[in-house]
Amino acid sequence: MKFFHYFNFILIILLLVFICVAEDSVVSNSLSEIQTRCYQLEEMIERRDDLKNTEMTLAVDNLEYVWTRDEKNMCFLVNHKNIQEIGQEIAKLKLYIASNDIDAFKVSIEEIKFYCHSYLHFMGANWHNVL
Amino acid sequence: MLTIIIRSIIIYLIVLLVFRLMGKRQLGQMQPFELVLTLIIADLATIPMAEVSVPVLHGVVPLLTLVVLHFILTLISRSSHFFSKIISGKPVIIVNPKGIDYKAMKKLNLSTDDIFEALRGAGYFNISQVQYAIMETNGKVSVMPKAEYAPLTNGDLKTNADESFLPIVLVSEGKIIKENVELANISQGVIEDIINKNSKGASVKDVLLLTLDRTGEGYLQLKKGEGKTITAKKVVGV
Repeated sequence: MKFFHYFNFILIILLLVFICVAEDSVVSNSLSEIQTRCYQLEEMIERRDDLKNTEMTLAVDNLEYVWTRDEKNMCFLVNHKNIQEIGQEIAKLKLYIASNDIDAFKVSIEEIKFYCHSYLHFMGANWHNVL
Repeated sequence: MLTIIIRSIIIYLIVLLVFRLMGKRQLGQMQPFELVLTLIIADLATIPMAEVSVPVLHGVVPLLTLVVLHFILTLISRSSHFFSKIISGKPVIIVNPKGIDYKAMKKLNLSTDDIFEALRGAGYFNISQVQYAIMETNGKVSVMPKAEYAPLTNGDLKTNADESFLPIVLVSEGKIIKENVELANISQGVIEDIINKNSKGASVKDVLLLTLDRTGEGYLQLKKGEGKTITAKKVVGV
């Protein structure tokens, strides 16, 4: 019985470690990928100076696909309210392509980058976050 | 809404598990750190239950962390007397043969009413009957009466009293408790015989409670009827 008691607690500690590692891995990988794709979108705008093209549409579709895929996993680990703005801004990107609004498109990309960066900062275990 | 229902079930089961892992102490018997833990757990459990955007893990992780912390604190308290005193405090004598210890009373933030309430709870309505009253670390007051007011025991009378034994519940609410029947080492037929002998025409289904101890003494109450003390052969094997 005593062994079972200790076994339970070791199991709980291992589970907690696993959750911490999984959170760090899933969230940082997903947000880093979104950030990278945002940088790629920015480069495309610099090159073409026009939103209404297949390359841009495909890139935004891919961004949306990646976000939808990762968001499901992230919802197990993070508060949905903290990351929902990223999804909203990605949805706006599609509208800006349709209206060819480059300035608003750039602002949205900046916002996505900002949310990703701030959540990555917020997630880390450091004294500022702990206290 | 279905999400909230499922979440509530999950959280409920986890909190139940947490309390099972923490032990079986009742609220009044908790040490200070256990009480703090219980209050935090109650609060933590409600957040993911009501807020759908918060992952269930945000409730589960702190709960499990607290279980681990509790386990570690208990382990250290058991192994170190000094640490145990820091975490749980130490028993304090609040009434001694000279009367109420006013210094201790103030230190524990007690009033004379609190002391009287505790003494009454222990069965002593007059403080002059009390030799010592000790405030335990879990907040309970233990009372030692003066010799002249102490309950009389068989030892005082130097009489040879029979040992008393724990009665075993054999039938409860019309159902035979198989585990206890095995413990008593008797058969179902014997139980039916006892019921039949003491309440004619009654079966196991009609019985509210049947207990029996090692000496053969027991208690039988039918669902429709009054309870009575019964005597059976010394059938109980423990």
